[in-house]
Amino acid sequence: MDVTARVGTPSGKGYWRSVDEFSQTGAFREFVEREFPGGASELLDTSRRDFVKLMGASVALAGAATIPGCRRPDHKIMTYSADVPEHIVPGKPLFYATSMPLPGGGAEGLLVETHEGRPTKVEGNPLHPNNRGRCSPHAMAATLTIYDPDRLMYPIYDNPARGRVDATWDDFKTWGREHFSHYEGAGAGLAFLTEPKSSPAWDAAKADLMAKYPNARWVSYLPAGSDAATEGSRLAFGTPMREVFDFAQAKVIVSLDRDFTDNEAGAISNARGFGARRRVWKSTDQMCRLYALEPMHSGVGMLSDHHVRLAPSQVSAFAIAMAKAVLAKRDNATLRAALAGAANPDTTAFDAIPTATEGKTFLELLAEDLVASDHLGHSLIVAGDSQPAEIHALVHALNAALGNVGTTVRYTELKGDLASPRLSGLRALARDMAAGSVKTLVCLNVNPVFDAPADLGFAAAFDKVPNTVCLSVGASETAAASTWSLNGAHWLESWGDTTGHDGTVAPIQPMIAPLYDPAMSDLELLAFLAGDDAPDGHDLVQKTWARVHSMRPTDAEFQRIWRTALRDGFVAGSGGDLATPAVRGTEIASALGSFVPVAAPPVDALEVKFVTGSIGDGRHANNGWLQEMPQPITKVVWDNPVVVSPATAKALKVTPDDYTARQEPRAHMATLSVGGRSMQLPVWICPGMADNVAIVTLGYGREVAGLVGNGVGFNTYGLRNATDGPVLRGATLEKTGESYPISSTQNHWSLESRDSLVRWLDKPAWETHAGAAEHGPGHGVVADPYATSGDDSELSVAEQLGELTHTPANLSLYENPFNESRGNAAPGSAYAKGPQWGMTIDLASCTGCNACVIACQSENNIPVVGKKEVAKGREMHWIRVDRYFVGDSLNEPERVMNQPVACVHCENAPCETVCPVTATVHDREGLNVMAYNRCIGTRYCMNNCPYKARRFNFFDFAQAKLNGGLDPKYVPEGVRKATNNAGEGTTFNQNLIPPRLREKLDEIQHMGQNPNVTVRGRGVMEKCTYCLQRINSARASAKVQGLSTIPEGYFQVACQQACPTESIVFGDILNPESQVTKTRQNQRSYLLLGYINTRPRTSHLMRVNNPNPAITEPVDAIAAHGHHGGGHDEGHGDSHGDQHGGESHDAHSFRVDPTRQIEDDGYALSLRVLGGNGVHA
Amino acid sequence: MTTLHPDKVTADRLTGKPTSGGPQGPLGDGTLFEDPAVRTPLVLNNRSLHDVTEIVCGYAENSPGKWWLPTFMFTATVAGVGTLMILYLLVTGVGVWGLNNQVGWAWDITNFVFWIGIGHAGTLISAILCLFKQKWRTAVNRSAEAMTIFAVMCAGIFPGIHVGRIWFIWFVFPIPNSNAIWPNFRSPLLWDVFAVSTYATVSLLFWFMGMIPDFATLRDRADKRLRAGSGTSKLCVQCPITGIKFFHLPVSADGIRAFVYGLASLGWRGSGRHWHRYEAAYLILAGISTPLVLSVHSIVSFDFATSVIPGWHTTIFPPYFVAGAIFGGFAMVLFLLIPARELFPNFKDLLTLRHLENMAKIILVTGMMVGFAYAMEFFIAWYGGNKFEVEVFINRATGPYWWAYWTMITCNVLSPQVFWKRSMRTNPKVIWAVALFVTIGMWFERFVIIVSSLHRAFLPGEWHMFFPTAVDILTFVGSCGIFMTLFLLFLRFLPVFPLAEIKAVMPQGDPHGHGDGGDHGHGDDSHLAANQGGGH
Repeated sequence: MDVTARVGTPSGKGYWRSVDEFSQTGAFREFVEREFPGGASELLDTSRRDFVKLMGASVALAGAATIPGCRRPDHKIMTYSADVPEHIVPGKPLFYATSMPLPGGGAEGLLVETHEGRPTKVEGNPLHPNNRGRCSPHAMAATLTIYDPDRLMYPIYDNPARGRVDATWDDFKTWGREHFSHYEGAGAGLAFLTEPKSSPAWDAAKADLMAKYPNARWVSYLPAGSDAATEGSRLAFGTPMREVFDFAQAKVIVSLDRDFTDNEAGAISNARGFGARRRVWKSTDQMCRLYALEPMHSGVGMLSDHHVRLAPSQVSAFAIAMAKAVLAKRDNATLRAALAGAANPDTTAFDAIPTATEGKTFLELLAEDLVASDHLGHSLIVAGDSQPAEIHALVHALNAALGNVGTTVRYTELKGDLASPRLSGLRALARDMAAGSVKTLVCLNVNPVFDAPADLGFAAAFDKVPNTVCLSVGASETAAASTWSLNGAHWLESWGDTTGHDGTVAPIQPMIAPLYDPAMSDLELLAFLAGDDAPDGHDLVQKTWARVHSMRPTDAEFQRIWRTALRDGFVAGSGGDLATPAVRGTEIASALGSFVPVAAPPVDALEVKFVTGSIGDGRHANNGWLQEMPQPITKVVWDNPVVVSPATAKALKVTPDDYTARQEPRAHMATLSVGGRSMQLPVWICPGMADNVAIVTLGYGREVAGLVGNGVGFNTYGLRNATDGPVLRGATLEKTGESYPISSTQNHWSLESRDSLVRWLDKPAWETHAGAAEHGPGHGVVADPYATSGDDSELSVAEQLGELTHTPANLSLYENPFNESRGNAAPGSAYAKGPQWGMTIDLASCTGCNACVIACQSENNIPVVGKKEVAKGREMHWIRVDRYFVGDSLNEPERVMNQPVACVHCENAPCETVCPVTATVHDREGLNVMAYNRCIGTRYCMNNCPYKARRFNFFDFAQAKLNGGLDPKYVPEGVRKATNNAGEGTTFNQNLIPPRLREKLDEIQHMGQNPNVTVRGRGVMEKCTYCLQRINSARASAKVQGLSTIPEGYFQVACQQACPTESIVFGDILNPESQVTKTRQNQRSYLLLGYINTRPRTSHLMRVNNPNPAITEPVDAIAAHGHHGGGHDEGHGDSHGDQHGGESHDAHSFRVDPTRQIEDDGYALSLRVLGGNGVHA
Repeated sequence: MTTLHPDKVTADRLTGKPTSGGPQGPLGDGTLFEDPAVRTPLVLNNRSLHDVTEIVCGYAENSPGKWWLPTFMFTATVAGVGTLMILYLLVTGVGVWGLNNQVGWAWDITNFVFWIGIGHAGTLISAILCLFKQKWRTAVNRSAEAMTIFAVMCAGIFPGIHVGRIWFIWFVFPIPNSNAIWPNFRSPLLWDVFAVSTYATVSLLFWFMGMIPDFATLRDRADKRLRAGSGTSKLCVQCPITGIKFFHLPVSADGIRAFVYGLASLGWRGSGRHWHRYEAAYLILAGISTPLVLSVHSIVSFDFATSVIPGWHTTIFPPYFVAGAIFGGFAMVLFLLIPARELFPNFKDLLTLRHLENMAKIILVTGMMVGFAYAMEFFIAWYGGNKFEVEVFINRATGPYWWAYWTMITCNVLSPQVFWKRSMRTNPKVIWAVALFVTIGMWFERFVIIVSSLHRAFLPGEWHMFFPTAVDILTFVGSCGIFMTLFLLFLRFLPVFPLAEIKAVMPQGDPHGHGDGGDHGHGDDSHLAANQGGGH
């Protein structure tokens, strides 16, 4: 962005400033000085110096900071560590606590790593009750957003006479003081448009504002999601409530189309509790059982024990049928009577689900499981956005009836904007805007011109409002259409506060002064409009908090509370005040009485469900990391195709092309028509989806988002209406004959019967085999062919599922001096000394949420490559989550498995021997390290890596403009979308320009990069380093502290730190007390492709499923695996024949004939599962 | 022409006019005997030693015909396109090829192994056949060696340019440095560097040393003409299309020849001592080269065999690669020499149908060897019981690259089978067609090994297809252009047949002709004629 050129034009500021003022302030010079990089350091140096000074100064000094005419006053930011450092040590990061508000309420408590005043990495706050050190991808991606060169940098005024001109905040203030004075008192026609927030300071500022403009209208809205949960709780309790779950207490969970670990206020907390309940370590450990009923696999759905693919309407029908079955066994007469009166849903579909118990249906068995005596009070039923309010109310009643309230679920009351319907206010506002009764509209960090439902005609109505003010951090359609486009401050650069899902109040602290100063946060703009001429977020928050505590901000006690809260990142004792309200059975009953379940959708009247994906409701569109973050189930990036089941696609003849036919898989374009609106969208398929359901992702198709986000995908808000929820019925999908390329990070979906790669066991089999192993040697435990010492001579339960039970060891003819076997490192050898790093990844609790992917990308400066390069298979993520569909049907896979894979740091690494220049070598702590400077890029290591964990920088991805986006709008010969501003000089393929001549990153984009990690250039191989920089800094500080070794838990690697389900464990495998040693030695641990003797340092932990034995007969996969049938037993029968004897070898339903081929139209050649004799088929 | 060749008879022969000719055999040109007691003549048509000199030197001194310049310009253009592609690659990055995170090598290393394989026939013919005293090698060894050099040059391009940072390619050489960083001697890619560079050096020496006496002959001829005043016409710069002459250079063609060939002949005077040293050195080089024939492609195959990737990790690769290289190399020799034999009329006297038949037999044998190797790969995969291995081979034959696999089988295994029939292996047109098929098939063999193993390795989640880009294709085509351009220059300016060695296998060259074949004469035409008659 060539700001200086714009500022310097004669039509720039001169219009708004007198000559005197102009020359006096030297605005142009000032702008230059404030521009980066020079300005950044100057600004930060100042702030740090002042910080130190302020440490010794009285608190009054901070209070005196609002002197008019000063620059933005500096305020103390308390470091997270208890001991405030006396000075900043250059090169040492500082961590500050803050929080991120979530759309629609709730917050994530965060710690932000700052280097010399620049926030570079977002991590979870270990103290915050939601995060507990974990973090969502969206929070981590904020470090890319804040340094986005496409952010708004200064106000722009749409002058009636001269068109859009650059302006200053002073110009706006001058205009605003005069303009808004008309609305004081009785003046009408002023409206504020924002999104619902849970923030005490925001509520206070709003109250002040509404007091000043009593006739102003305050509208909050959320473009995506539904009100059903709020309305359902209003129905059930009389007041709107939000559930606060404790999944760690849950033994049986029924999810009615709700991914409770994603996209909700308590998602991270839920994921933590749920993840803990999915992991078993000993044969006696208990785990929860999850029934998921949903149209498409969600993150938790992939981990479910029983997955039923159902259209949203059928999930409702199921809920009612389930309620009837449950309540029949519980004493809740009112509801039972109401449900008896309610229309009976058609249960034939559910009854057709096969069960292992003769004469009982899936529903009945599920109900029995819920009301089983040891599950009462420890079950949980949750309903998602797609379910109507009545079902939510019913779920509250069921949880109450099952005694779950108070144990697994509690409630917190929703107030204000959070309790109001998310779109009704916007609908009324749009009507009035169109009618001309709204004279001035202030949009605060919302983008209604883009994301308002199509039926409102919002963009047209917006044009009829004579004065529109839009505060926005990034470029947006609304800002571009507004009279005043104001550059907002990002939450990483402004003060504020949040209320978390359980009521915990947390501060938002700025990590850096606004990059494009002057700027205001939305909170400050509210205060300005309320009459505060120099609003200051710090004071606003402090004042609000002081009022809550009934103190003055200057009180010493308040200062203590304030500083503690800033240090800890939340106000101690503010959360956890949760209610257990009684359900109003009569009201629920009457609502359910009029609820009519509908029939399953036919193929000519599809059910459409609107969801949000990687880029949220569109707000993260200009964030390359999130654009390139694969959708967990479809693995599609940079796009939002409409997703249907393979059977539906086949029926509609829109099955995508065979992905082996061309480089970029092709989707058919089809016209999706629903509710009188239609739109052309590419159609993608997803196995395991409910038939005749179309999943449509919102938020894509931004036109004014910036170079990354412009024109990516399709704006599906054009299909929405403001009255219906996220589910629409009666849609049709018609093929247009055109095609469209879809980029996906994983083109092959099947495990190809290679089930030794991703292992699982049913719980009864786990109990048997783990129990045998716990009894010690001689209880049918298989000898480890690689073992060289007695301590490590037996295969774990998980290893018994792999090749090691039936392949002889790959023993070498000579003793390779570079090999140090696990368990027998020679005394005094390099590998006998700690620390020796290792990792375990738990497949039992991975929801595929991609937090590790983004954490790694942020920590390790991993570039984004763009849609076209992903299609070529050149994505750079160092850790990826492989997703496999398992089963013998493409349309209805038995199971979905997630497997995060990064470099496993083989002790006997195939990559190391083949590198001709010794660029990849082993270090003494067991890491397989890359010397980037030495790498010449032969790619031999990449070829020889069995895990394909290495990534090659084919172009200068890290340096190219747009963070490596080699033309993000690349639309090869396919459908070219007509957008207004996409394509101006940007459709040229940047590949054709030598990297050295390409337009480089803006200086500001470098600021977000981790200074401790090399930015790799073109032609260099890279891969997971186990966060070597973190190991090294931990080693240094351990040494400084006089520790002999790096203690357990001293540091975490980035992916481990982010994982919300705590599935990744890292540490010293020689330390017998370390967590990783325990997980690595657990019976669930296995080495991926261990039979080729690579000796990975990362081991995977087998997944254990907990199916209801009454519904699915548990299988002993080890027995099935070991039984090889005729002709093969001689080879290995001696070693492990015994423990297989007497086991049942009956083929289970998913133990299909491995030679069976499924017609799959080119995708997933066959979704078969390896049978007992599959190896030698 | 007349000034160069006062001998009218020779001049006629050079221009392709019918010669007196000797007796013709039952088949073809009279070299295809069934009688094992009778030696096949290696030079036909009653040629004198002088004839041989005139034929070989005549083509080095005169334009081979109107076809040469347009052909040369075409191949030079293709070579230029290839060079531009390489420059584009170097400036922009390896991403201009269709490679990805799964398929790290594709056309680049395919081309490398292909060209290296082509380069095997030359040394095999030169060295191994020399040691085994196979006299028929003299007809093809010079051009086969030239082809080897050019093929190794083309092969050398690809590992050079396929790296991400070519400006650091010197890291692969063991250069003493202050950081004491050495290349990784455990890497087969480093062994490749040594093997290929050794091979290129030895082949070049062998080729060049063999040419020294011939260079001296060319030098002497030019010098003689200069002294006689018959070769003094100045070189002129001429428009290749219109033939308009622009200006004359101040030197004559013979002057340049005398100078350049004089330099190249390293002061050869043809003394007995020279010949003694020459023979000894030739034998030593042949001895050095012989293991190289086996080692180079074995080492190239280690690139794959030492890896852990199914489809690569197999012990059959070294012999299989060597057989394939000889197979492909002979095919390329035939592919080039059969047209040359037609375009240079008198070449048929030196390169007889017997020669072609011999090489066709080698094609048949080595083709069967690679066919056996293909079968054994499947057998071992099944016999080894490794699921990943089995699936790689099933994928090769039935997966998305099935067409490449079956192209390979058709070209390499099926097409040489026609050589079971003698009429086929003595028909130059058929031999040429099979040679073409084999060349295509051998390229696909390398493509199949590299790409079909990489694109579907262990983890299905990382499976990815490879699609070549235009740069991939044009770089390969360009390397063919470079090869052909160099070969055309060779045909035009260098002695295509080894004069001294051919003369040595002619009846006149055997002073004790009665020793092995019976009764070769001493340069007497009547003896020669009698010999060819085969009646003794």
